[in-house]
Formats: sequence, structure tokens, C-alpha cells
Amino acid sequence: MNRVKTTQSKTGEIIAYSEGAIRNNISAVEYCRTSMAAISGCAAGILGLSGTLGFLFYFLSVFVLWILVLVKSGTQWRKFFINRRNLLTNQFMGGLCTYVLFWTFLYGMAHVY
Amino acid sequence: MGSKLFNKLLLIAGFASLAHAAFSAAHHRTYLRLTEQEWNSLPLDIILQTVISLVIVIYNIIEIVGNFKEIRATVDMQQKTWDTLGNFPSFYSFNHRGRALNPGYTPPE
Repeated sequence: MNRVKTTQSKTGEIIAYSEGAIRNNISAVEYCRTSMAAISGCAAGILGLSGTLGFLFYFLSVFVLWILVLVKSGTQWRKFFINRRNLLTNQFMGGLCTYVLFWTFLYGMAHVY
Repeated sequence: MGSKLFNKLLLIAGFASLAHAAFSAAHHRTYLRLTEQEWNSLPLDIILQTVISLVIVIYNIIEIVGNFKEIRATVDMQQKTWDTLGNFPSFYSFNHRGRALNPGYTPPE
């Protein structure tokens, strides 16, 4: 069943959102974020980054992913997402765990052994 | 559909390029160890290959995930008729006076 969720905008008018569509968009972004964390972890391991530089690389790739998602949704991002900032900060720590896992793995494979 | 296949091919190429960069880095590291040189950073071509294939892979993953849906509820409701939207199966009623036309009908006392 397609449920409807309403919020009130700043100007006072009430906007109805379709909950199924919101969930679909968020799960698509979540999929991208997990893949991005894994693959940028691989890249950081190959580059041989260590310490603070590796974490800076994660911040950079999260930011690049955010920009790419906004570019994909075009000028009309309000049609697809309620809030732009949540796209950047959602699941930040979970992605970091995935990132560190792949980073250490590839670093060990390419540079240690 | 064709562009999606193209995106998938690019994704596979990006992964292959990333793997190739990993092998190159490992080889470079082995070479440095055998010639007993000091390691400070990778050669520029391996760094470039890694970063470029990373960007290619992320971009194609976003393309493959598919288009986002419109979240404003009024937009997809405008396409539907009232007969679809006002259909509530829980409120169906099958009792009406037409059953009095049945020959075997006995009116309640």
C-alpha cells in the first residue's frame, strides 16, 4: 500500500510525500554509498595511504559521491529528496567501517606481502 | 537499455583497471624491495590509473542504480482516476434489496 506522509514547509503550506518513493530513493543512495565505501577503500589501499591521509581520502570520496548524486538528480533535487544534508551524513560511520576493512585488506595485499 | 549495458561494461572495465593498478603497485613494491631502495610514494601513472578508475566505477554504479522516483505524492496520484483511488475493499457491501427478487427468499419476521 502506498502510504502518504505530510510535512509543513517554511511558508506554511502542507506537502504530501509518498513514503514508498522516499524509501526507494534512500535505499538507492544507500547502495551507492556502501559500494563507494568498499571501492574507495580498495583505492586507498592500492595508493598506500596511511594514517590521517586515508581518512581524509574517505571524506573526499563521500563528498564526491554527494556531488555525483546531486548532479544525477539535476537541478530539481527537491523532487527526489526532502533534505540535501541528510544525503551527505546518513550512514557515515557504517561506511567508514566498510572503508577501513577494504583499506587495510588491499594495503596488506599490495604493500606488505 | 543500451546505455545501461554500456554502463555495466564500463563498470567491469573500471574494476579490471583497479585490479591492474593493484598488481602494478605490488610489483613496484617488490622491485623496490629487491633493489633495496627507499619507498616514499608510488609512480604517478599508477596513482592516476587508480584515481581515474575509482571515479569511473563510482559514476557507473550511480548510473546503474536507476532513476530516482518522484517523492511528492500528488504527482503520481494525478495520473489515477477516482475509481482507482476510491477503491476500498474493506467497505464492500454485498447486502442489498435485490435478494428479495430470489424465488426462495423468505422475508424475516
